[in-house]
Amino acid sequence: MPDFSLILPHVVFHTFALLITIVSICVVAARHPVKSAVFLVVDLFLLAGLYASLDSHFVAAIQILVYAGAIVVLFLFVIMLLNLQQEQLKGVKFTVVEAGALLITLIGFLVVMFTTMSGKPTGLGEGSLDVAAIEAAGGNTQVVAMKLLTNFIWPFELASMLILMAMVAAIVIAKKDKKVVPAA
Amino acid sequence: MGLTANEFTVQFIATLIKFAIMAGILLQLPPVMVWAERRIPGMMQRRKGPNRVGLFKFRLYGIVQPLADTIKLIMKEEVVPEGAQKAFYHLAPIFSVFPAFLIAMAIPYGPDIHAFGFDVPLSIIRVDVGFLFIFAVSSLAVYGVTIAGWASNNKYSLLGSLRASAQMISYEIPLGMSLIPIVLIYGSLDLNKIVEAQNHVWLWGVFLSPISFVLFLISMFAETNRSPFDLAEAEGELVAGFHTEYTSAKFAAFFLGEYVSMFVLSCLASTVFFGGWQVPFVDILKIDDAIGFTGVGALIGFMSLLLKAGFFMWVYVWVRWTVPRFRYDQLMSLGWHYMVPLGLINIVLTAVILAAIRF
Repeated sequence: MPDFSLILPHVVFHTFALLITIVSICVVAARHPVKSAVFLVVDLFLLAGLYASLDSHFVAAIQILVYAGAIVVLFLFVIMLLNLQQEQLKGVKFTVVEAGALLITLIGFLVVMFTTMSGKPTGLGEGSLDVAAIEAAGGNTQVVAMKLLTNFIWPFELASMLILMAMVAAIVIAKKDKKVVPAA
Repeated sequence: MGLTANEFTVQFIATLIKFAIMAGILLQLPPVMVWAERRIPGMMQRRKGPNRVGLFKFRLYGIVQPLADTIKLIMKEEVVPEGAQKAFYHLAPIFSVFPAFLIAMAIPYGPDIHAFGFDVPLSIIRVDVGFLFIFAVSSLAVYGVTIAGWASNNKYSLLGSLRASAQMISYEIPLGMSLIPIVLIYGSLDLNKIVEAQNHVWLWGVFLSPISFVLFLISMFAETNRSPFDLAEAEGELVAGFHTEYTSAKFAAFFLGEYVSMFVLSCLASTVFFGGWQVPFVDILKIDDAIGFTGVGALIGFMSLLLKAGFFMWVYVWVRWTVPRFRYDQLMSLGWHYMVPLGLINIVLTAVILAAIRF
């Protein structure tokens, strides 16, 4: 009897990978914007499944929480409120610039694919990143937290400042046209 | 990982059994709750509630009434509104049921059963980031509501769904914030570890972090779109909100989704604030050894959790028939102006006190 517990992770991984590819194509190919958004949710959900099958439960949960649960809901809101209609089919004609951009993207994709396939995964710091080592260091959440709040504290804080600035900027831009009511 | 083939088989079969039991309980919820939701207000308002439908000559306090209701509901004609987005219209009820069932899998329903050298956990899936998993999946519940409202091609539905989803997104924040102090106190994201840490009544979350409990309780009502926050289906303004255009079994699916998510949040509240499967003043992990029969402790733990969850379900009904509905701006103001700041203060306060104690 073959050892299912060794085969199963591979089966799960490749099933997820295949589904993600199909759904990703659907996201781009769907003609109705709401359909695209819903496919995007499914895509992000499956991606979280992929992370979970690689034993990164923390990243998987955060992936669903932030992207599928919050950001795409806002996409959906905007699409519904603007009442966008179905795209009409257009004949595919590329200008030279568009074709060039597409070509560069494809080449970049292939380069990234081959480098990731040939190289070993490396962490952004010292220490091994295999499942047993992470389990010994206190689990996913703790390892991520320790890395974020010690080695990467400055990038982490700067990123949060950047997001805050973007948020304030968005509010200022949205309020630009309103008359400022002087305080009584 | 690292399971032997034998252990794998045992866990696989155990999971199937747990699935069957859980599905049975969850699917039986709406009928029982519909009955409770008519009998309890009857009791509170000194009237009878449904008490006629019975089996043969026995009326049984009208408990067969939900069966009649269900049959009526399923026999209704299915109407798909004109101009509806067909695919999404049919998918929306599934979108609203799916997350609720998924969360129900991560809740620890009892202590592990140690039998024949195997260790069977009493939650269907054990996630080491249980908290985050529950939040992540419950944030997906918005889609069912949003898509249902949009796909029915009805202005009331769309308005109802916009209200409901804005409300659900807003109250997810205080709900999440209310649980961060709990994570800080017990030092784990694993629900099972949190329950194990509450092995004494004074170590229950409700005593260690009372503000969290209040915030959680309020957000619980808003998350499930229940009264007094059921603005999404304010019948005077919006007909019936996002499910205006749904009939028959699809309407029943929304019903199921609502009751299952109520039950799941009740279970979560009992798990986090009331010791989950722990029984006050009894060490449940030692019962098996004391009696000499495996599984008794797990059964008692399961009953204990169900009892606590049942209490919260009763609170849901109680509040629904006692407190009048809020206005929408009041609801938003309560969420953003009072509960979010209070949640932040609570987190900082807990962190400071914990740091002071551990220093």
